[in-house]
Amino acid sequence: MSQLLQAVIDGLLIGGVYGVISVGLSLVFGVLGIVNFAQAEFLMIGMYVAWFAWAWLGLDPILASVLSFAVGFLLGAAVQVTLVQRVMRAPHVAQIFLTVGLLAVLENGALMLFGSTFRSVQTPYQASALKLGPLFVSVPYLLAFCAAVLVSVGLWWLLARTWLGRAIRATAQNEMAARAFGINTGRIYAVALGIGTGLTAFGGAIILPYATASPAVGTQYVVLMFTVVVLGGLGSVMGALLGGLAVGIIQALSGFVLPIQLQNLAIFVVFIALLAFRPEGLIGKARS
Amino acid sequence: MIRALIIIAGVSLAAWIVGSQLPARSYEVRVLCLILLAASMAQSWNIIGGLANQISLGHGAFFGIGAYASTILQLSYGLSPWLGALAGMAAAMLAALLLSLPTMRLKGPYFALATLAFAEACRVVANALPMTGGPQGVSVPFLGDSWAMLQFRAPGTYLPVFIGLFALTSLVFALLANGRIGYQLRALRENEDAAEVAGVATLRTKLIGSLASAALTALCGTLFAQFTFFIDPDSVFSVSAISIRMALIAIVGGVGTLIGPILGALAIVPLEEVLSATLSQYIGGIAPFTFGLVLIAIVLLRPRGLASLPGLRLAEGGRP
Amino acid sequence: MSPRVCVRGVTVRFGGLIAVNDVGFEAAAGEIIGLIGPNGAGKTTLFSTLVGLVRPAAGSISLDGARIEGRKPHVIARAGMTKTFQNTALFPGMSLLDNVMTAAVVREDLKSARRTAEACLERVGLRKAALANVADLTFPQKALAELARALAVKPRVLLLDEVMAALTPAEMDEVMATMRSLRDEDGMTLLVVEHHMRAIMRLCERILVLNFGRLIADGPPSCVSADPDVIRAYLGQDHAHHA
Repeated sequence: MSQLLQAVIDGLLIGGVYGVISVGLSLVFGVLGIVNFAQAEFLMIGMYVAWFAWAWLGLDPILASVLSFAVGFLLGAAVQVTLVQRVMRAPHVAQIFLTVGLLAVLENGALMLFGSTFRSVQTPYQASALKLGPLFVSVPYLLAFCAAVLVSVGLWWLLARTWLGRAIRATAQNEMAARAFGINTGRIYAVALGIGTGLTAFGGAIILPYATASPAVGTQYVVLMFTVVVLGGLGSVMGALLGGLAVGIIQALSGFVLPIQLQNLAIFVVFIALLAFRPEGLIGKARS
Repeated sequence: MIRALIIIAGVSLAAWIVGSQLPARSYEVRVLCLILLAASMAQSWNIIGGLANQISLGHGAFFGIGAYASTILQLSYGLSPWLGALAGMAAAMLAALLLSLPTMRLKGPYFALATLAFAEACRVVANALPMTGGPQGVSVPFLGDSWAMLQFRAPGTYLPVFIGLFALTSLVFALLANGRIGYQLRALRENEDAAEVAGVATLRTKLIGSLASAALTALCGTLFAQFTFFIDPDSVFSVSAISIRMALIAIVGGVGTLIGPILGALAIVPLEEVLSATLSQYIGGIAPFTFGLVLIAIVLLRPRGLASLPGLRLAEGGRP
Repeated sequence: MSPRVCVRGVTVRFGGLIAVNDVGFEAAAGEIIGLIGPNGAGKTTLFSTLVGLVRPAAGSISLDGARIEGRKPHVIARAGMTKTFQNTALFPGMSLLDNVMTAAVVREDLKSARRTAEACLERVGLRKAALANVADLTFPQKALAELARALAVKPRVLLLDEVMAALTPAEMDEVMATMRSLRDEDGMTLLVVEHHMRAIMRLCERILVLNFGRLIADGPPSCVSADPDVIRAYLGQDHAHHA
């Protein structure tokens, strides 16, 4: 019983981070209508930014996550202006292959720049855990989870309470109408993609205390991120956050049934089944 | 159709003439074989990816199934890869059927994602199963030059095999593209509702295309295993090295056309070889990095591929 | 003998909205029936439901006595009922001939499908444009191409959704002559949605009127145009002067 509870706790803590990593993907789809296959590469970029901040400046990754967000934001906005903008009205094939091409460029660009070395950080709390009766709460998981919750609240505030948030939602709903109200939708698209990739990069930084950075780390998260957002309803921000928790728990619990090598299989099966039976998502409402 | 036959015969003959001039153990003849293999893989993908525009990012699943089926049957039962290839094709068709049931109605990015997840699932399972040899991979035992066991010391001896593979995949593509199925696949690609109302059984038509595509991809996988003598899950089920590369070659050359995969393979494989021969030991990742750039450039500058370059217009296949 | 088309109690819902509400009518072989109603009355939805693109929430549809509601569109097309699309839904990457052939290759081999397609194009007067890419056709030509493709299905019941929308009066006369010949020579049943009131009144011996998803009138043009419900719902608006 306590094993089960332990798995649920770990799953929730990790899942909260999955939510933040994936919410950017959902935001990008919701606003731009683009499925960004390269999104997970920004996780990798965020990890490297935080790693270098730690190695050169001695910054803790949780703090360096601000830097990661900034770099992710700028890169994402630049990608929107230079590349994605040109295929927004193009057929799906063009959109898919543009972002798949970007995935290859970013992953292998990182390989060329940083080599294939695995990089991790040392933090004072790395191996510590809080003891709650028979249960343990890993400190790095907990810190990452708290950071994720903080940023989720921030994102909610931004979207719900600020002019920028209203402009983003208006653009997502009806670009023409938003333009008619004087919103510079071109800029909104760049900001939305920037926020989306920034959040994923932020997620890369906060997991660095318990995860290892490498150029290929993004590909490990591609299907996972898509499972989270499809579970929550592509385009739904709240859905993605809840979807993250659900995927975290599924992953933790599948450890009881499946051998460790097959741990991700549960995610793939859930994902294909979701696409087949409820592509509009279980939680949120998909954008039509 | 006649033009398609001329193209297939011409390319096969050219490959034969060039290949027979090269020493059987040379690097160049090996590259020629790899070009033919790449063109065959892209042509197999092109049946469903090009004619129906169902963008699969998971054809590595069928490639890996073909590679493992023949290799495992040979290791366990001494079965000839000729028969192993048939078993692999049957297994891949079964896998395609299983995958099609839940994904057939999906479109665009949803279909791409589902196929990608399927190939990843196959890779994870292959890494975990005892009979695949796990992450260490398996080797095809070398028993000496033999047509019965389809294995040779010199790459040049494989040339007729790969020419045959190329001719077969291209012929199947041309027959489907120019036949009744081709009309229906293109129609459902353009507008599924209108195709249905015109009497096209869209799901069944897509299924036929998927099965043919999966079977030919598995055949490519078997021949790849025979050619390289070694396979492991991470390389034969690879999303980037197999699945995306198949699509990339078709897209670069011209998606949905007969000539597209040929042009794509002629452009990509030599580039790949040059990059990995010259630069890879200094800068890892330069080849896939370049392909990413090529893909982006093609999408932005020439969305219809190399086949749309002026002067190559006559090559626009897929239409009688 | 059962009527060619028999529709009973058909209701279509989109979420909470009732697009078609308890509609019922029969159509005999060789009838040309007009279907009119204000915008949003449910005409196109009713057509989509008849050919199987939309699944009705309730009701039955039969074609020559066989129940077809809920079947796939291609099954219904092969059973003999098809439609044209309101704002045209041709296959843009293909030639006009290939577009029309698609409907014929479903049953026939390529050679005979080509003959069928050419005959259909001849019938709508587009034979000369056969090899053009459909993207290069004018809008009226596209509407006629829709008609040709539907004819290649060899239907017994043909639902025409505003094929005459962009035609000149002379072209309209030609299309109406084609429609009559489809009835007279091929025994086809035609259901026609059209906004040109005068054309509808001349072409059809019977008219159905839809309003807010309900069938509010069914009868010969003279009766329908005198029906007070119809005048209030429809003819009272911008088309009153045509009546």
